[in-house]
Amino acid sequence: MNRKTSMLVTTSACYLYLIVCCAILLLPFMVTLVRSVSVAQPGGSVVFSLSSYNEIVGSFWPKINLSLSISLLTVAIDTSIGIPAAYALVRHDFRGKKALFSFLNGVWYVPGVCYAMALVLAYYFVYKFFLGFWGYVAAYSCGFLFLMLLTCMVAFRHFDPRYEEAARCLGAGRLRSFIRVTLPLIGPGVTAGILLTFVLSFNEFITALLLAGPTRLMTAPLRVYSDIRMYGVRETVAAEATVLQLISLIVVVLYLKFVGTRYLRGVILI
Amino acid sequence: MGSNVRGVNKVEQTQIPSFFWRYTLKFGRRIKTLAMLSPALLLEVGLFFIPLLMLIIISFTEKASFFFTPVYTWINYLDIFNFYGFDFQNTLTLVSAAAFVDLIFGYPFAYVMIRKIRRFADLFRSIMLIPLFGELYIAYGLWFVFLPGGPLSFIFDFLNIPISKALYSAPSAILGLAIYTFPFVVYNVGISLQEIEPSFEEAARCLGAGPLRTFFRITLPLSFPGMLSGWLMSFGWNLGAYAIPQIMGGVVTGQRIISVKVYSTGLVTMNFGLSAALGVVLVVISMIIFYISLKVTKGVLV
Repeated sequence: MNRKTSMLVTTSACYLYLIVCCAILLLPFMVTLVRSVSVAQPGGSVVFSLSSYNEIVGSFWPKINLSLSISLLTVAIDTSIGIPAAYALVRHDFRGKKALFSFLNGVWYVPGVCYAMALVLAYYFVYKFFLGFWGYVAAYSCGFLFLMLLTCMVAFRHFDPRYEEAARCLGAGRLRSFIRVTLPLIGPGVTAGILLTFVLSFNEFITALLLAGPTRLMTAPLRVYSDIRMYGVRETVAAEATVLQLISLIVVVLYLKFVGTRYLRGVILI
Repeated sequence: MGSNVRGVNKVEQTQIPSFFWRYTLKFGRRIKTLAMLSPALLLEVGLFFIPLLMLIIISFTEKASFFFTPVYTWINYLDIFNFYGFDFQNTLTLVSAAAFVDLIFGYPFAYVMIRKIRRFADLFRSIMLIPLFGELYIAYGLWFVFLPGGPLSFIFDFLNIPISKALYSAPSAILGLAIYTFPFVVYNVGISLQEIEPSFEEAARCLGAGPLRTFFRITLPLSFPGMLSGWLMSFGWNLGAYAIPQIMGGVVTGQRIISVKVYSTGLVTMNFGLSAALGVVLVVISMIIFYISLKVTKGVLV
């Protein structure tokens, strides 16, 4: 009995610790959410109302639209580039593979500000046609290629090549065996890369802050940042930040509901 | 499709490669590999290698002279050495303090999650994705927390600290940075904890060591690589953080940060040479950090 009690105490202490840590991780989001729905009345009392969301619909929706299209294009480009590259890196052997892999991942290990500054200089001098919408897409798809590559490589590691060979032996062509056999089997693993690329490129703001200079093409997180600098604690700004976080949260929750955490294991979760 | 017997196939395969065929087959395979890798390579060379090269070249030019007639000097690096020592010291202090905070709270988190609990583990794992949404939201939310009348003000009242002192200070910036990179530390520590064989700990317990002694003599030393790589990863990630120090840190801690200086010297005062030089130094620090971290984990992939 005594032993059982001590076990119970230990387990509940563990859960308490986890809950406290997670509460601190969730604290910024929760506070922003509460701020966005509590509006001060003239009398000095604070009431629950959604009026701040109503206010931002007209001005903020185009920015969200722009951000969504940028990040979806980024995901599409990264998927179509990342899958063949990961296949070649996993299945084929050649000299200098390790160096090539480190080179492809180089962006990930450069601080965001430095990468953005380098891109600004390159866009001003070399790729002048890139300033604007496609500049964002190109910058993000280069910056987040690593995540797609990593998840695809993990997926190819777990995929037995014999299935593909069997399909080829049974008479399916290259394309057909890829679409009918390989893609469904590695698909769930690739979705982890799609999720991470989408969430990170949708919320990316430091590159946007540096690139937005002359074109004044503002993505949604950049708009939030400039509003924070201008209006600060106003509830409409909190509502903008909350909307962006909620969109990411909905995507993550849908992913976790339909796919689960198992494909994220090799990348970010334990 | 001749015969399905394995041995026969092997004989056929060994008979094929005369020199000509062997090299032709190898060459064809190389071409295929190159074709698969070329889009990724093109993207990385065009948008990572060339911009980085330009950053390095421009870091040797004076002010904005690269736009007109470039004047090549060392003066930017001398300026950094002479005038930006405090900024580097400030940045590195903040970042390493945040990494230590992460480690202190992240190690028990990973340990408990892997060893002690079974239910709701997936829920806690998925909460770890939320700091990834971006530093901007963390900074903004924490700003509300530390404003007077915020949700934590009763704690400050209880401790008799004026909350206005907590708002724009180094500790609040460190808290924000620690929240931002918490998942990476937990991930690295968790992987190294998972790789420890349970039989080691069981053996220590059988040989008479108590649970505390087992933990400090067996588990902690064996998970040291994970701790080190988690610390380094947190350090390297926070080096590039911009919004958290900017919004949370106030005048001294928030403005005298290298990432903020890269932006302000480059795009506000238009001193592109100095900005690029600061960027190059930051990239070098970050590369060293991540190189050590990859050496410690022994390069899991490839």
